[in-house]
Amino acid sequence: MFPPVRLDPAALMGEISAFQRKLSAGLANLAHQQEPEYANTPREAVYREDKLTVWHMKGQGKPTATTPTLIVYALVNTVWMTDLQADRSLVRNLLEQGEDIYLLDWGYPDAADRWLGLDDYINGYLDRCVDAVRKHAAVGAVNLLGICQGGTFSLCYAAIQPEKVKNLVTMVTPVDFQTPDNMLSHWSRELDVDLFVDTMGNIPAELLNWVYLTLKPVRLNQQKYVGLVDVLDNPKELTNFLRMERWIFDSPDQAGEAFREFIKDFYQQNKLIKGEVVIGGKPVDLGLITQPVLNIFAEQDHLVPPDASRALGRHVGTTDYTQLAFKGGHIGIYVSGRAQREVPPAIHQWLSTRN
Amino acid sequence: MADQASDLLKDYQAMAKQSWDSWTRYLQQQMGGTSPFAHAASMPHVGSGQDLLARSMDALKGYGEWLQGAANSGLGQGGGDWQQSLNQMFAGFGGQPFAHAFASIDSESARSFTQLWQSWMQATQAGAGGHAFDVEHMAAFGYTRERQLHQQAMAAAMRDYLEWAGKYQALIQRANTEGLERLKVKLADLGDSKQQVDSLKGLYDLWVDGAEEAYAQIALSDEFRHVYGSMTNAQSRLRLLQQEQLDALCRELGMPTRSEVTALGKRLQELRREVRATASTAGSDEVSALRAEVAALKRQLAAKPAAEKVVAKKPVAKQSPARSSKRSSEDEVVRRSSKPAAAVVARKSVVRGATRTRK
Repeated sequence: MFPPVRLDPAALMGEISAFQRKLSAGLANLAHQQEPEYANTPREAVYREDKLTVWHMKGQGKPTATTPTLIVYALVNTVWMTDLQADRSLVRNLLEQGEDIYLLDWGYPDAADRWLGLDDYINGYLDRCVDAVRKHAAVGAVNLLGICQGGTFSLCYAAIQPEKVKNLVTMVTPVDFQTPDNMLSHWSRELDVDLFVDTMGNIPAELLNWVYLTLKPVRLNQQKYVGLVDVLDNPKELTNFLRMERWIFDSPDQAGEAFREFIKDFYQQNKLIKGEVVIGGKPVDLGLITQPVLNIFAEQDHLVPPDASRALGRHVGTTDYTQLAFKGGHIGIYVSGRAQREVPPAIHQWLSTRN
Repeated sequence: MADQASDLLKDYQAMAKQSWDSWTRYLQQQMGGTSPFAHAASMPHVGSGQDLLARSMDALKGYGEWLQGAANSGLGQGGGDWQQSLNQMFAGFGGQPFAHAFASIDSESARSFTQLWQSWMQATQAGAGGHAFDVEHMAAFGYTRERQLHQQAMAAAMRDYLEWAGKYQALIQRANTEGLERLKVKLADLGDSKQQVDSLKGLYDLWVDGAEEAYAQIALSDEFRHVYGSMTNAQSRLRLLQQEQLDALCRELGMPTRSEVTALGKRLQELRREVRATASTAGSDEVSALRAEVAALKRQLAAKPAAEKVVAKKPVAKQSPARSSKRSSEDEVVRRSSKPAAAVVARKSVVRGATRTRK
């Protein structure tokens, strides 16, 4: 049999020495690093309530789109993934295409927000944010661009308040929460959520981050940092790496009640595709969503498997349904070079024919 | 060749040691204190910056050690059996290479629980005259009966948690072991296609692929789901008992307790919802009333020109058609009522609601 491993001792020594050298030299580069800034696209707060802010994002020129688009992010992590750095910003790319972009920044819940439920988030906060955008832009209905859990929220909202949503874009959005490859869902199935939330109150971000890391423990706990050694001597790449680390770990805690309801109704009972979700006494029927829908998902998504998103096409009521599969992962769909070239233009093209 | 490799290895090890030592010295200069790689488990909880950085660097240190181990194993450096060399190499890591990467799955909270358990056992197992006794299974009686029961419940909960945590760790270790088997398969496939791994990083990346595949298969199994859920539930039960104990202590000290704060938060949120609902109901009633009034006014305005025409053409009043009389009577209602009926009803209901709230 042909030997599959051939390690030349001299080359091997060179490899190990290089690793050690980079590590020793690179450590100095890690010292005195400033907190990496996000893209910080110019913005103006148009609405504030409790911890949340609605930002109106400012592009170089005036928007050409007649209907504004509100980006609704998940409650986990922060919306700044969409405006991470100047050359990797979904927001900037959409602004450049002429879209009129608003961001819903949920903020950081604390103990005062422990009892906020899905009704408060969807029929309360989200509805008032949509109203604020409608008022600010002087329009009757807005486009919603929902991301991950924010996409699920947007679907619920569009089903409850169809007259306020003109077009709906969902990105890496779970719809069928019990596909066989959904590890998060699998792990949550035997969790006593009531006991968990009663014990924890708000769910600490650190705990959730740990759960996410354990989805791919070796890649995310070690291999990633082995790769870091290769960019320690490259200031730009190092800053990019640290910026991403900032985004990953600078996460909000989760309001306990909303977490309880979301895990129970969506992950454990998969009620969304069964048409059994009721939020604040209002039933959520995906079949009632008749607005145009663009559903974008990532083919290598380990958090929201593609099939979890694909299910939307089978359950949504609209006759104007478009699906876009992106070659990448849950985060790559916003920050990879390919994403910059493919995703914003696709969204803009789709919206421009429907605004 | 083997001698040359051996000499190179000796040289390398000396250099590597110098490298790690200088790195350690550098960190000490930056932060002061002892080695950054002192084992974190000895720390009672996340504390110094040094400790935190050491944990962050653990992954890199683990990789560095693996590089040395792989170089020492002689794998791929001669004509020997590569599978045997691979086995030897992994045996050198106790069959658990990159234990850190998997060990980090065991969360900080689990670590602090274990320490809490140990200190609690030490505090409670010292009986009269220094004799240890079985706290968990003693009959509870006397003035401290309730506290004894609570401690027994905590002991049982801790035991339950440790049992599930052990089962969880066993699954994690199985994933690590199966990762090696998958690596062998991947290497054999490479050999079949006459390809070769020619760097340690290449070998490492291949192992990561195998380890993640093995882990994913186990993590998606029913057994893992059950163990994961049970471990989390056991930890929650234990935390809840800890909180109860803390609440009791706070009450004794006259401090606000967690449960009181939670109850206040809940009531406050319920009140906010009630206020919002009341305001939105009142608002919508008022809007409906105003819409009705506007509609009536529009009808009135629409009727006016027609009425004027009639007046202009026929100054002598004739009997109006039924439709006109209906409209004029509607107009009268609008004119007479300074407040629309619906709005009045709405305000009454608001007042009633407010009264109920005050009660």
